[in-house]
Amino acid sequence: MVGTVLRRLAVFVASLAVSTVVVFAFMVLLPGDPARVALGTDASDAAVDQLRHEFGLDRPLPVQYASWIGGLLTGRLGTSYVSGAQIGPQLADRLQVSLILVLASMVVAVVVAVPLGVWMAVRHRRPIGVVLSALAQLGVAVPAFLAGILLITIFAVRLGWLPANGWTPPAVDPVMFVRQLVLPALALGLVQGAVLTRYVRSAVLDVLREDYLRTARAKGLRPAQALWRHGLRNAAVPVVTVLGLQLATTLVGAVVVERVFVIPGLGSLLLDAVGNRDLLVVQDVVMVLVAAVLLVNLLVDVLYVVLDPRLRLGDA
Amino acid sequence: MSDLTAPGGPAPDLAGDRSYPGTLLVGCALTGVVVLLALVSFVWTPYDPGLIDGLHRLQGPSGEHLLGTDKFGRDELSRIMVGARTTVFVGVVAVGLSVLVGVPLGILGAMGPRWLGELVGRLGDLVLAFPALLLAIMLSAVYGGSTLTAMIAIGIAGIPTFARVTRSGALGVLRSDYVLAARSCGLSAPAIAVRHVLPNVSSLIIVQASVAFAMAILAEAALSFLGLGTPPDVPSWGRMLQESQELLFVAPRLAWVPGAAIALAVLGFNLLGDGLRDRLDPRLKERR
Amino acid sequence: MTRSARLATAGLALGSALALAACSAGSTANPSGSAASGATGAAAAGSDAVGIGLVLEPVSLDFTKKDGAAIPQALLGNVYQNLVTLDESGTIVPQLAKSWTVSPDRKTYTFSLVDNATFSNGAKFTAADAVFSINQVKTSWTVGVKKAMDVVASAEAVSPTELKVTLTRPSNSWLYAMTTRVGAMFSTTGVADLATKPIGTGPYTMGTWKRGDSITLNRNDSYWGTKAHFATATLKYFKDATALNNALLTGTIDIIGTVQAPDSLAQFTSNPKYQVIEGTTNGEVVLSFNNSRAPLTDKRVRQAIRQSIDHKTLLDTCWSGKGTLIGSMVPPTDPWYEDLTSVMPYDLAKAKALVNEAGAAGKTLRLRLPAAPYATSCGQVVKSMVEQSGLKVTIDQLEFPQWLTSVFGQADYDMSIVAHVEPRDISRLFGDPTYYTRYDNLAVQDLFVAADEGDQATQVADMKKAARLVAEDAAADWLFLMPNLVVADKDITGLPKNAIGEYLDLGKLSRS
Repeated sequence: MVGTVLRRLAVFVASLAVSTVVVFAFMVLLPGDPARVALGTDASDAAVDQLRHEFGLDRPLPVQYASWIGGLLTGRLGTSYVSGAQIGPQLADRLQVSLILVLASMVVAVVVAVPLGVWMAVRHRRPIGVVLSALAQLGVAVPAFLAGILLITIFAVRLGWLPANGWTPPAVDPVMFVRQLVLPALALGLVQGAVLTRYVRSAVLDVLREDYLRTARAKGLRPAQALWRHGLRNAAVPVVTVLGLQLATTLVGAVVVERVFVIPGLGSLLLDAVGNRDLLVVQDVVMVLVAAVLLVNLLVDVLYVVLDPRLRLGDA
Repeated sequence: MSDLTAPGGPAPDLAGDRSYPGTLLVGCALTGVVVLLALVSFVWTPYDPGLIDGLHRLQGPSGEHLLGTDKFGRDELSRIMVGARTTVFVGVVAVGLSVLVGVPLGILGAMGPRWLGELVGRLGDLVLAFPALLLAIMLSAVYGGSTLTAMIAIGIAGIPTFARVTRSGALGVLRSDYVLAARSCGLSAPAIAVRHVLPNVSSLIIVQASVAFAMAILAEAALSFLGLGTPPDVPSWGRMLQESQELLFVAPRLAWVPGAAIALAVLGFNLLGDGLRDRLDPRLKERR
Repeated sequence: MTRSARLATAGLALGSALALAACSAGSTANPSGSAASGATGAAAAGSDAVGIGLVLEPVSLDFTKKDGAAIPQALLGNVYQNLVTLDESGTIVPQLAKSWTVSPDRKTYTFSLVDNATFSNGAKFTAADAVFSINQVKTSWTVGVKKAMDVVASAEAVSPTELKVTLTRPSNSWLYAMTTRVGAMFSTTGVADLATKPIGTGPYTMGTWKRGDSITLNRNDSYWGTKAHFATATLKYFKDATALNNALLTGTIDIIGTVQAPDSLAQFTSNPKYQVIEGTTNGEVVLSFNNSRAPLTDKRVRQAIRQSIDHKTLLDTCWSGKGTLIGSMVPPTDPWYEDLTSVMPYDLAKAKALVNEAGAAGKTLRLRLPAAPYATSCGQVVKSMVEQSGLKVTIDQLEFPQWLTSVFGQADYDMSIVAHVEPRDISRLFGDPTYYTRYDNLAVQDLFVAADEGDQATQVADMKKAARLVAEDAAADWLFLMPNLVVADKDITGLPKNAIGEYLDLGKLSRS
């Protein structure tokens, strides 16, 4: 088991290294001169060249790459070409905002999906199971931004129960923080929940077919008791896996919801940086997102091995 | 986005989960309507979808304009029809790209030497670290937002899933008796790939393509919504939704019509995928 | 550990990560001196705070090094002040200068300065600061607008309250430029950190800047003039019109600074809780032509495009009929304005004939739009209308920086749509053949020079001639003049009707 984990770790490091090259190469292709953008439309070529020099954009590419990587490794993410601000603290701050949103949405997803999925599995031949299945299918098909617009229209503008958008740090005003978090977390979470519901249902159905559950029932346990004592634990393994994988993709997918709800998260930082040709910020944000996806994948793999040693990686 | 076709690790699948009867029928019907709208739009639309009519702006549904008109006085139904074309086009090209690159890679990974299979798998994991939306934002930052960049980004992001599905399917086929027999008869590897492997994994690929199509529609809508996809003058459901957002209180219909179109199209392709899996998956046939 | 215990541990870890993140998220603001106050969301709560919703967030606070209208919009007049400023009708009026005289040769300006203004760092404002500020533009500014100060030969402090500026030649545009960011007054001891700590004499001081979200300004309680009503003013930045509207509807902000979706105004005009203010701006929405590229080198083609556009309908459909039709590059608030909308009126038959005559039928023109609501919206209308004349139009949309590089920098375009918001920018667009319009007309260039150097009567007469000439030559098409559309809570007073200058005047805002 330790060998598998170590091997997986090595792959993670290698993937991370290759990703940095890919991301860097990509950004070199970006058209639009950050120095020109900073200085405005009337700036002289000499002034632009001067600024390019200050940014270090006139150095050979390998040197630029090396200095970027050096910065990443030592935690110095550099200063933005456009704002002149330190990128590190800003990025950490935005990442936290996005993480809160994504984690809150996953809580919503789990709260929705687990009971619903189990119920759908237990009642899968009854009409209610069919109806819920159909609803879940529809939920999967609704884009998160559409859900967001719908929620804003109903709960913020028509009913006036919650703010339509914005973000308040919990330390500043915890009540406002929660009020503003509810709708975006729902928009992102309900759609994820719909996806997750199908996996929960499927996992529980699989468990219901297993022999040990039949044995448990034969021992006199009622179906619900049998499922509770033995089934859910086994059904949890695939569900936790899916949840982990969702975490990574949702972090990126939150971009759209952040836009709809005006949340200063990582996604809006990325879109702004792309718009402002803030190269270094784009590079750093993309790298953080890619690293997050790789890291979560690693954790899911490791967790999988830890949870269920019967499963051997590589045979999948 | 809820892109679950892109798991990085050993993903649980829904293959053992039989869907309800009628799934295939509803899926076929919904996707059929989308494709039909797109095809008909080439020969006929009620009005020119780009025609600006300042005198008939923001009109409600009527006999003349079944779905009303938008803020430029353009006919909403005509735009939905041409928008279907964009949706189908993006889906076909993106999924086509994923299939054309992913399937050969998957077969290569299964039939080639072990290190090659390993390499294909690892490269796939790496691409999976760049979800479609991130890739599209990066691409559109470089080449500008357009339908093409959106399709390519979605297509690339889908390659690993197809490679993985194909590889695992192919590995199963390769262990079967008739492939062993064919091998012993001296049939070459490419011939085995074409004659035995490909036909046997094709059902898996078709099912995956249907699901990937739904994902492509969602991704394109999200990109257009962010202004990174289709250019402003080409009707696209995502952009129509984004543009009509500001009119939500003046003409809510302009947002709900394209919104519903996106949701129904995605639903259709998802149901089609589920239905096809039940129909085509040999494992499930045995269970019946 | 049992399996379920492990799962529970994993769940706990997830939960605590959430709690951990929650503690500090969003709190790494950009503290600039004073303590954080006036958090967003609380803006609308107290009568002591006001929240204004805007669309373009500055990327830095230093307009000596970074371009863009967002920085002066937030800081000028509020944190920084000028010697002179513009009133709502576009007239130059005193600010830090009480009065000024111009020498008979119109090359020497003598300003009499107020004697009671202090900077927020405690330093007193004197003529030495003014000299310093003017010289700074020439020596250490890097942005393009610094050119406006090239004409200054010298600036000297005659006394702490008297400033003498000598120009190399008479220039009418210099004093006007002094009302913009170029004329902002800095403290000799307050320019160490312009990017985050702006120091000026204005009614507000810089508070906190939450990047990607908002800038909060605090009332300057030692302000030399009438103190501001609100203790804090929060400028909150939104990405799109809908979010901005929703923020006002749900009380997150009190004022929408510039309405981005005029069609959505209905929801506010019909609601007694809100007031809607309609005024005018300096922003000409220009359909620019690349005059150096065939077939647009042919005046007949340019004229055909102008005459194929029904401007009234265009304004109605793409900007809900709000705004003013101008017909040339002059807003009605400039002294040399005249109505030139009839120079090339809408005439589709004529346009078709011109296109055929020029042999341009079926030729494709690339309309490259910056990603801005007015451009996206009007671009589609322009395409539809221009194609009626027999030309073909393809649209592509560029993020603003990309637009700056390829359209503005390299003139890689046929047509574009952009709002030129700088005041009195006609000479910039059509007096400089290297500008992205690539318009090279000696007669027009001579008129601009004569107007700048001449007396007031000459200036007005020559500018009128130039404006008519570029309109008749179809050097560009002027779609409309951007309206100033402001929506606010009913009880907010002191909102300016017109947005003529470069800034948003927060000092006069109040709640009745």
